[in-house]
Amino acid sequence: MASSAATRSAAGAARVVKPLFSRDLDEAKRRVRELYRAWYREAPHTVVMYQLDIRTCQGREKVREMFDKNKHITDPRVIDMLVIKGKMELQETIQFWKQKTHVMRYFNETEEPRATDFLSKFYGGNGP
Amino acid sequence: MAARVLQQCVRTLARPSLRLSAANLAAPSAAPSAAPHRPVSFAADSRRTRWLGLSPVPSVGVLCRQYSDLPPLTLETIKDRVLYVLKLYDKINPENLQTTSHFMKDLGLDSLDQVEIIMAMEDEFGFEIPDGEAEKLMTPEEIVQYIADKKDVYE
Repeated sequence: MASSAATRSAAGAARVVKPLFSRDLDEAKRRVRELYRAWYREAPHTVVMYQLDIRTCQGREKVREMFDKNKHITDPRVIDMLVIKGKMELQETIQFWKQKTHVMRYFNETEEPRATDFLSKFYGGNGP
Repeated sequence: MAARVLQQCVRTLARPSLRLSAANLAAPSAAPSAAPHRPVSFAADSRRTRWLGLSPVPSVGVLCRQYSDLPPLTLETIKDRVLYVLKLYDKINPENLQTTSHFMKDLGLDSLDQVEIIMAMEDEFGFEIPDGEAEKLMTPEEIVQYIADKKDVYE
């Protein structure tokens, strides 16, 4: 879907395609900004509702990371599709249709540093 | 102890002739601290010194009640608050922040950073800034002008 959209837009400006929501790049960027605002305002409520063990600033950094991953895209239709998927995620998060595990899937697992002193190794157990 | 202080305040309000004493505000705060040590004689001693020491109602004509109203906005206060909020933002270096510094060109921020800044301004001043106008605010000076326009602050 994304590749066919890319080839369609790469085929040249002569071809006019039906837009999803926004007619040009500026409008698409405006939608992205609105979505970012909604996620930014939602982050502290998410942390409280799902009782996540992260700080609010970590949640907001993760939102920023997700948005920065797609920073390079210039096709308005692709941007619209990503905004639609982002809005779906936002709705599922706000309405509590997800669970803690679904929200924490965005985050990588924290790595515990290996214990060096005797007591930490003792508490850690005989594991590998 | 608090009731005794309140009684004194009520009595000073009832005697307008004593309002002319140019007493400092530290006197009523000192009075309650002395109360627990000498509870019995406090009323007797203070009756003479109270009229000189206690500060009356701060001003005769102006009402001292504000009814939870905010202090009026001026261009100076708006500018101070905007710069204060910007200094608290961790992606901005407070040394090279001025009212004319452009967010993207001078301070090297992103468009999403600018969205975050505008949201911080919304939280600070308590009113919504729609995205169509928010994307044009690129320097602190423009933000101050926009807020002054919205809040009808005279230049």
